[in-house]
Amino acid sequence: MNALTIKALGFAALLIIATIWVVMSMDIDLTDRVNAIAMGGAIAIAVITSSVVVKYVNQMKTDTATGELVDENWDGIGERTNELPSGWAYAFLGTFFWSMWYGLIGYPVDQYSQIGEYNEEVIAHKATYEKKYENASPEVLTGMGKSLYFVQCAPCHGNTGDGLSGKAHDLTTRMSKAQVLDVIKNGSNQLGYPMGMMPAGMASGQDAEDIATYIAGGLKGEAPASYAACTSCHGADSKGNSGMSPNLVGYDETLLTHTLQNGKKGIIGGMPSFKTMITPIQEKALTAYIQSIAQ
Amino acid sequence: MQSNAALEYDYTVAKMFTYVTILFGFLGMLVGTILALQLAFPELNYLIGEYGTFSRLRPVHTNTVIFGFTVSGVFATWYYFAQRVLKVSMAESRFLMILGKAHFWVYFIGALIATITLVFGISAGKEYAQYEWWIDIVIVIIWLMWGVSIFGIIGIRREKVLYVSIWYYLACFLGIAMLYLFNNMSIPTYFMTDGLGSINHSVSMYAGTNDALVQWWYGHNAVAFGFTVPIVGMIYYFLPKESGQAIYSYKLSLLSFWGLMFVYLWAGSHHLLWSTVPDWMQTMGSAFSIVLILPSWGSAINMLLTMKGEWNQLAENPLIKFMVIASTFYMLSTIEGPIQAIKSVNAIAHFTDWIPGHVHDGVLGWVVFMTMAALFHMAPRMWKREIYSKKLMGIQFWMQTTAVVLYFTSMWVAGITQGMMWRAVDEYGNLVYSFIDTVTVLHPYYVIRGVSGVLYLTGFILFAYNMYKTITAGRELTEEPQFKTPMA
Amino acid sequence: MFFHWLEKNPFYFAVLISIVISFAGLLEIVPNFAQAARPLTTETPKTVLELAGKNLYVKDNCIACHSQMIRPFKSETDRYGKYSLSGEYAYDRPFLWGSKRTGPDLHRVGNYRTTDWHENHMLNPPAIVPGSIMPAYKHMFTNLADIETAYAEAVTVKNAFFTPYGPEFKKTRAAWEAHRPKVLADAKKIADDMKSEDVKKAVANGQVPEIVAMIAYLNSLK
Ligand code: HEC
Ligand code: HEC
Ligand code: HEC
Ligand code: HEM
Ligand code: HEM
Ligand SMILES: [Ca+2]
Ligand SMILES: [Ca+2]
Ligand SMILES: [Cu+2]
Repeated sequence: MNALTIKALGFAALLIIATIWVVMSMDIDLTDRVNAIAMGGAIAIAVITSSVVVKYVNQMKTDTATGELVDENWDGIGERTNELPSGWAYAFLGTFFWSMWYGLIGYPVDQYSQIGEYNEEVIAHKATYEKKYENASPEVLTGMGKSLYFVQCAPCHGNTGDGLSGKAHDLTTRMSKAQVLDVIKNGSNQLGYPMGMMPAGMASGQDAEDIATYIAGGLKGEAPASYAACTSCHGADSKGNSGMSPNLVGYDETLLTHTLQNGKKGIIGGMPSFKTMITPIQEKALTAYIQSIAQ
Repeated sequence: MQSNAALEYDYTVAKMFTYVTILFGFLGMLVGTILALQLAFPELNYLIGEYGTFSRLRPVHTNTVIFGFTVSGVFATWYYFAQRVLKVSMAESRFLMILGKAHFWVYFIGALIATITLVFGISAGKEYAQYEWWIDIVIVIIWLMWGVSIFGIIGIRREKVLYVSIWYYLACFLGIAMLYLFNNMSIPTYFMTDGLGSINHSVSMYAGTNDALVQWWYGHNAVAFGFTVPIVGMIYYFLPKESGQAIYSYKLSLLSFWGLMFVYLWAGSHHLLWSTVPDWMQTMGSAFSIVLILPSWGSAINMLLTMKGEWNQLAENPLIKFMVIASTFYMLSTIEGPIQAIKSVNAIAHFTDWIPGHVHDGVLGWVVFMTMAALFHMAPRMWKREIYSKKLMGIQFWMQTTAVVLYFTSMWVAGITQGMMWRAVDEYGNLVYSFIDTVTVLHPYYVIRGVSGVLYLTGFILFAYNMYKTITAGRELTEEPQFKTPMA
Repeated sequence: MFFHWLEKNPFYFAVLISIVISFAGLLEIVPNFAQAARPLTTETPKTVLELAGKNLYVKDNCIACHSQMIRPFKSETDRYGKYSLSGEYAYDRPFLWGSKRTGPDLHRVGNYRTTDWHENHMLNPPAIVPGSIMPAYKHMFTNLADIETAYAEAVTVKNAFFTPYGPEFKKTRAAWEAHRPKVLADAKKIADDMKSEDVKKAVANGQVPEIVAMIAYLNSLK
């Protein structure tokens, strides 16, 4: 090996090592089939290119130009009649065979379906996933909820769950006074609870103010007398009458399920429905995670 | 047969295209550098209001470097070497001279107007085909003028056998003509109604998946017939001419050319892998892309073998260096592309920065290097002056080579990382990274690419300066140099 | 030898190149055309307001950073929703799949983002998503959308490609004037969910700021 070869291969190796190092530092599983093939491809590009170029550049150093010239000459440029370089010719044939393999066996053009492959993968995943986490512990669920939250919810509710200073619901507390007042004034009918809708105008004036203060304060201390109008539906403990209406104290699975299924529009803005994106186990996980960030 | 010396070639048109090649090269790469910096430092989006956002400027970059820089480089070199390998001077035909000049002016004014429309957001939306319908018409006219000019000069040639470079330029002309026309078919809405709305607006003749197919049949081959074919034609003339060496193998030239012609068009669907185009077509795109390595490498290897035994030239002549490294980057991008076209690799690579990485291996390392080398070779012959500074050329060479290496290593790492992060799952099997995580992680690589852009652009400015000084202040030559370009 | 003969005959040389390069196009593209053009039965063409938004998506070239093509991988369907189908694009002229995801895919963004979110986001992305490198599109709040051109587009695709727009879509100015209130009503629905008073005022005055059309389009991506 001469200096040039060492330099070129050294550079290729450096590039590959750097790539693998960065990728690994992001906790990526390189044994995953697709990741492995991509990495293999990257290595092939670096290694094949540098070795082939070095081979020919070395020929510039050592060989001499030979071969007969053709009759023509264009503006002083001659052309030799040399045979094809054999390595090139065989590699060309090799790629033909490879492409036949690819189209007939690898991804048979008359059979292969990418959607079919997808379906198989997803069905297999679902089967193991649902079984494994059917009765997961709260700790496991909280852990699972965390990445789900960051991928799906954080763009609106913020990384800390605070709702980005009023741009979405603040998940670290239950509800703000303004939100409660709005519901009392206008009623609400979008979450799909068994009790159906909440009528508008269940309280007004000072009563409404007092109730809202009480709920926004986390239902601590003495309830205002007028709050009795609410407990008939929301339950004596305000926890939603066993899932008939929303829990006003904290986030429970029922509330999350109803919100994620139906979305919600309030004074802050709109929250879309996640009906098609979140599975029941994931709803549980999100509940656990949100409970863990709510005070 | 007449001898070369007896003919006075006329370089008027070649000179005009040389100026605008440099102008558009500078503008296009300036915008490219701004784009690169905007992704690293988003505040730079607001320098000129709505006209300066990354999204508005991106097509300005791509179109200026493709239809401005590369295409005028192709025209400049054509008007230079075609006369020489066909052994006929443009001055011998008044018609060809007038046509050539008209070709230049229509092209230049058209290109300026076209660029302005993009800044104002007048766009048809498809990549590399953003120009609205009436600009397309101007482009077709420009292209036809070139066609007439090509066949005109071939018609009166003295050298009967077409040299390899001519094959490639012919293919460039025919390929682009066909593809551009089909892909840009659209209907102006103004004329389909009683003059409602904007006169600029049009709708594509094709919808959805069909539009995608036509677009990438075009897009892939616009790369093929714009960034590859004519540039191969260029190196086939300028490398043997500069080095005085004969082409290594006619057979290799022949097989590479026809192999390329046959295989290239099949590969377009590698831009649509895992999309909604039929599975069989995707597989064909993948398979043919791998086959494509060899006809591409054939030309590059033929060039490297042409330099066999000429190591001393590589060490001494920076122009030879430019061309040899251009071949090398051509080899790099034409094996990188095929490997990215393998379905499983594309699952990672597609949509990531690895693709712009691949693109710029090709364009910076191959297209621009080769074009600059060609213009450097032409200057002393067209203006009859020695190259102003060999030293400057050397500095430029190292700056720009470093820049390309920085560009592709940073985007390579960035792309692979990003592609794998999008797929990464946590211990439960759910996605682990939010999208923004995969954006912020790229910051250091975007900064490196920004630096690379500044370096490359500076190198190009050195090139422009060296050319300017050559034209205006280079030592005058009494005799045309036969091979090696004289430089001070 | 054949090739040597060819190299002396430029005309036939050019003809052969043309044949060789059209070959693949014919074989690959043509058979697919009829099939891929069929819309899903559930697919309706975009409203005029949404079309105006689509044209802004093209004008401001969001395709530079955003794809609209959800590939059939679990990692993508988990993030963005169901994989894309050919028939969903049957009315898209041009197609807007994109080729680079500097930002996320948007093919189904209407499912998981809302009007108010887009309003905040387009005004200042990093304030909503810390670390975002997306440019702010403040000018969309003051520039007016070209709804007349969007109407002309609807009429054009109806007449040229049988896109199912109703009988009220005619090429006359009178038909456009008659349709205009409908566009404004759609615009008002969007503006009602927005916070910007200037936008609300503009819509009340019969104008459509770009941002309204843009959001209508983004909401229609489902
Ligand atoms: C007739 C039964 C009923 C009564 C009485 C009632 N609510 Fe409700 N409440 C509901 C239902 C049902 C919902 C869910 C509405 C929906 O689907 O949007 C609800 C929703 C709410 C919400 C919104 C919760 C959320 O997470 O969005 C608040 C706050 C609330 N009620 C407070 C009150 C207060 C305060 C009172 C008394 C003044 C009251 N409710 C009386 C049935 C009732
Ligand atoms: C596009 C923005 C957006 C996304 C994404 C989003 N939310 Fe919300 N969410 C909101 C807004 C806005 C509200 C407040 C609505 C109101 O009351 O005005 C809200 C309210 C809520 C509430 C309170 C509901 C109630 O009735 O008290 C919960 C719980 C919630 N979101 C959970 C989630 C979870 C879990 C996710 C992710 C799977 C999520 N959100 C994703 C915007 C969003
Ligand atoms: C420079 C690149 C860039 C450009 C140009 C750009 N975006 Fe973005 N976009 C991003 C990035 C990065 C994100 C992810 C971070 C965020 O949400 O801001 C994003 C996110 C989004 C989202 C949120 C999607 C989601 O799932 O969270 C929408 C909607 C969006 N962009 C719309 C647009 C529109 C409309 C345009 C054009 C008018 C545009 N973008 C132009 C980079 C860009
Ligand atoms: C054997 C030759 C080549 C093959 C098979 C090939 C293949 C590919 C592939 C697979 C992609 C990525 C598509 C995607 O996933 O988005 C791509 C993109 C691209 N390549 Fe190549 N490549 C080749 C050579 C080149 C060369 C030499 C250049 C330039 C000089 C080039 C320029 C580009 C460009 C500009 C794109 C970006 C297209 C876009 O906008 O998405 N390619 N190529
Ligand atoms: C100073 C040199 C240059 C710099 C810094 C630069 C930078 C950039 C950047 C930042 C992008 C956008 C990538 C993205 O969206 O993520 C881009 C795209 C592109 N550039 Fe350049 N560029 C340079 C020179 C060139 C030249 C000379 C050419 C062609 C001759 C070129 C052709 C392209 C093409 C085809 C794309 C689109 C790629 C795609 O869509 O995948 N660039 N460039
Ligand atoms: Ca066009
Ligand atoms: Ca692209
Ligand atoms: Cu391609």
